[in-house]
Amino acid sequence: MTTSPTVQGTTDIPTQVFEKFLQTLVGTGVSAELVARLRKTLLEDKTFTERALKEAVLAEESLP
Amino acid sequence: MIRVESLTIKEFRGIRDLTLDFKGKGFAICGPNGTGKSAVVDALEFVLTGNVSRLSGEGSGDISLKQHGPHVDRRNDPDKARVTVKVTIPSLSKTATIERSAKTPAAAHVTPNDPAVLEVLGRVKAHPEIVLSRRELIRYVLATPGKRSEEVQALLHLDQVEQVRVGLQKIANSCEKQLPPIGTAVTLARENLLRALGISELTNEKMLAAANAQRAILGLPMIADLIESMSLKDGMATPGPAKPQLIPKTQALVDIRAAREALAEIANVPTTTRVAEVTADLTAFANDPEVAAAVKRETFYTNGMDLIETGACPLCDTPWDLEGLKKHVQTKIDHLKEVSRRRIAVETKISPLIAGLRKVQAAINTVAGYAPFATPPVAIEAARDYSTNCGTVVEKLAALLPLTETITVLPKVPIVPQAVLYAIGELEKAVAALPEPTKQDAAREWLTVTQERLDVWRETMRKQKAAKEQAEKARQVSDIYATTSDKVLAGIYAAVEKDFASLYSFVNRDDEDKFKAHLIPSMGKLGFDVDFYGRGFFPPGAYHSEGHQDSMGLSLYLALMRYLQGAAFTFAVLDDVLMSVDACHRREMCTLLKREFPHTQFIMTTHDSVWLRHMKTEGLIGGRSAVQFRSWSVDHGPAKWDERDVWAEIDDHLKENGVRAAAALLRHYLEYVSAELCHRLRAPVEFRGDAQYQLGELLPAAIKHMRELYSRAKGAANSWNQREIIEQLATREATFAMLAKKSNAEQWQVNVAVHFNSWDNLTKEDFEPVVKAFRGLLGGFTCPECKEYLRVSPDRETPESLRCECGKTNINLRKKGG
Repeated sequence: MTTSPTVQGTTDIPTQVFEKFLQTLVGTGVSAELVARLRKTLLEDKTFTERALKEAVLAEESLP
Repeated sequence: MIRVESLTIKEFRGIRDLTLDFKGKGFAICGPNGTGKSAVVDALEFVLTGNVSRLSGEGSGDISLKQHGPHVDRRNDPDKARVTVKVTIPSLSKTATIERSAKTPAAAHVTPNDPAVLEVLGRVKAHPEIVLSRRELIRYVLATPGKRSEEVQALLHLDQVEQVRVGLQKIANSCEKQLPPIGTAVTLARENLLRALGISELTNEKMLAAANAQRAILGLPMIADLIESMSLKDGMATPGPAKPQLIPKTQALVDIRAAREALAEIANVPTTTRVAEVTADLTAFANDPEVAAAVKRETFYTNGMDLIETGACPLCDTPWDLEGLKKHVQTKIDHLKEVSRRRIAVETKISPLIAGLRKVQAAINTVAGYAPFATPPVAIEAARDYSTNCGTVVEKLAALLPLTETITVLPKVPIVPQAVLYAIGELEKAVAALPEPTKQDAAREWLTVTQERLDVWRETMRKQKAAKEQAEKARQVSDIYATTSDKVLAGIYAAVEKDFASLYSFVNRDDEDKFKAHLIPSMGKLGFDVDFYGRGFFPPGAYHSEGHQDSMGLSLYLALMRYLQGAAFTFAVLDDVLMSVDACHRREMCTLLKREFPHTQFIMTTHDSVWLRHMKTEGLIGGRSAVQFRSWSVDHGPAKWDERDVWAEIDDHLKENGVRAAAALLRHYLEYVSAELCHRLRAPVEFRGDAQYQLGELLPAAIKHMRELYSRAKGAANSWNQREIIEQLATREATFAMLAKKSNAEQWQVNVAVHFNSWDNLTKEDFEPVVKAFRGLLGGFTCPECKEYLRVSPDRETPESLRCECGKTNINLRKKGG
């Protein structure tokens, strides 16, 4: 055996992904409000429905 | 997270009443097919998670846990179906008991009801992947990339990650789908504005020139720059000195002229020619049933391609690998290449007809707006109806199918009903009859209409801009999410890939010690290619044997579990995995599990007693950490090989004069135990390629070898000059010889007591001494302290000792200097 990559255990991979995603979004021209809304949806409310995501992504841009 | 101490199953699945004492250690359940091994697995899964995946997963149909979880005789009394498990929680240094009933699977009765305990058990419940069956194992290996991704995602709890990916992608797609209709609205608004302005090109300069010319008539200041906050009417008194007309005469006449032109264009020769060509093409399609069907299929596939957004067929929702499905559909489209080419050619010809009809629609709708204000009002219904019909024809032409309907509507395209032309003519007359406005009024009307159309155009442009921004933003967010999640998952998979390759190459180090693997995540897929003896990377099912694939499945599972749970990976159930792996590699798998997962309690099931022995001899499980199921009945559930149970059962049979049943059970047990003894003692038996050994071959061999071992042990003691031990061994040897003689087992072929077909002639009194003799004989193979069967250690190479599991019996077999 050459390796035995014993790790501490990654109990919440989705949170890792969401955190990294939100970090990447900042600085790409996406508004801070949008990032804040996505953070609330993904990390605080933990709701992943299309409706919730749409509200987070398009809330400030809704067509009249 | 947990280790399982014991499990009690009552009236659940095929089990009536069974308690297994795991003692928090690795444990194996062995038995032929249909003896209840998987029911134990189901019970463990049920009590820990409240679910039984076999009863709720894919393909379970109408089967439900509540209805079919209880034993068949308790199907109407699910509360009687209960499973209780006692666990230890190493991180808390606590024990807990969980009890569940099939009546209320979701409600677990936990003792103690301690928040910390409940939190740990909640995490266990959230990880049903602690139970791995061969069916699931193969899914990791042989699945399509999309399906594998789903399996691995389920294991790593990535469903939320995937749900967000799909959600963001749908939002981006839906935003982009809004753009074409908004674009059409902008074009029509622009054409309307140009007509009002009387110019052909929409530039600021030309618009200002046109507007300022009208403003000059009214004596209004020139507009220097056309900015959005400014109106062309700025400074204009409203209403003017005279009562304004409801129909802006000049503009209305321009619009009517535009409508006439649009109608003339649709009815002209080029249109008629084009209609004829398209009709001929479509008729050719329709007249050839094969082509017609192909067009139908090709159109279906092409439309379907646009609807593929997620990893499922848009028609039947069957899960698919997204890219795989697109490729599959594209292949079908490619096969219909000629049909596709002809269809595209026809659609290209149809396109100007659709544009012409839309132009007619828009023009008629504009002029129809003037009709009610004419004096007297002009009946314009015919024109409105025609406009509606144009819309219907546009839809049919755009859809193309059914061909017959498209062919039917095509001739209508160039035909403008006389009633339409008449109505428009009447309207034109009515508008022309309106008194000529003064120059000032005309200018006022011009500015009013043009500003209205400018507002509409600006509004559509604003909507288009907003829609584009929305679409760009949604796509940007979706793309960033896809890239980021792929990157994070790539990191995870890289770690898992390395560990997986390491685990697999250890098990197969005899010929694959350089083995490597690639896990390649991309947009919700997970590609999996493995090295095949240095010849390149291929899917696991391409060249590797089934046995290697089983090894890969288990290695990948272990690597994923270790990544996911780390030190908390303390418990797993391996249900009949590795059934295709050969004996040699199973032994290596035992070593791997023991060496790499020393803190994980594996509960394993197998129908193969050789595999069970490997687990024991390799030390993966203790000598007593196994149960052998010998049979199963619907009334009693699994029957296990238990020394005490067997003798008690034989006694029970004899009490009721059931000599036949007692003898059958005795023989069956002797068959099982003789093989076990020969294995433990390393007794030489004439090899049989089919491994079908008779009792008459095994038991005498075991007895003979036991005697030889005593003889060998005496020789060894003698070499060490251990007089006392020699005497003890001599006593044991003599006792054993007496027991063997009483059983007459060595003269098996003439031993009628348990030989074939002689039972019916025996009475209870005849058979009782036989039972006693064999019970005594088997006792001679055991440790007097722990009552376990003795075994030669080690199980290969030169024998060193004859010993038991408890260590109280440990007879040296090696001579001094040997």
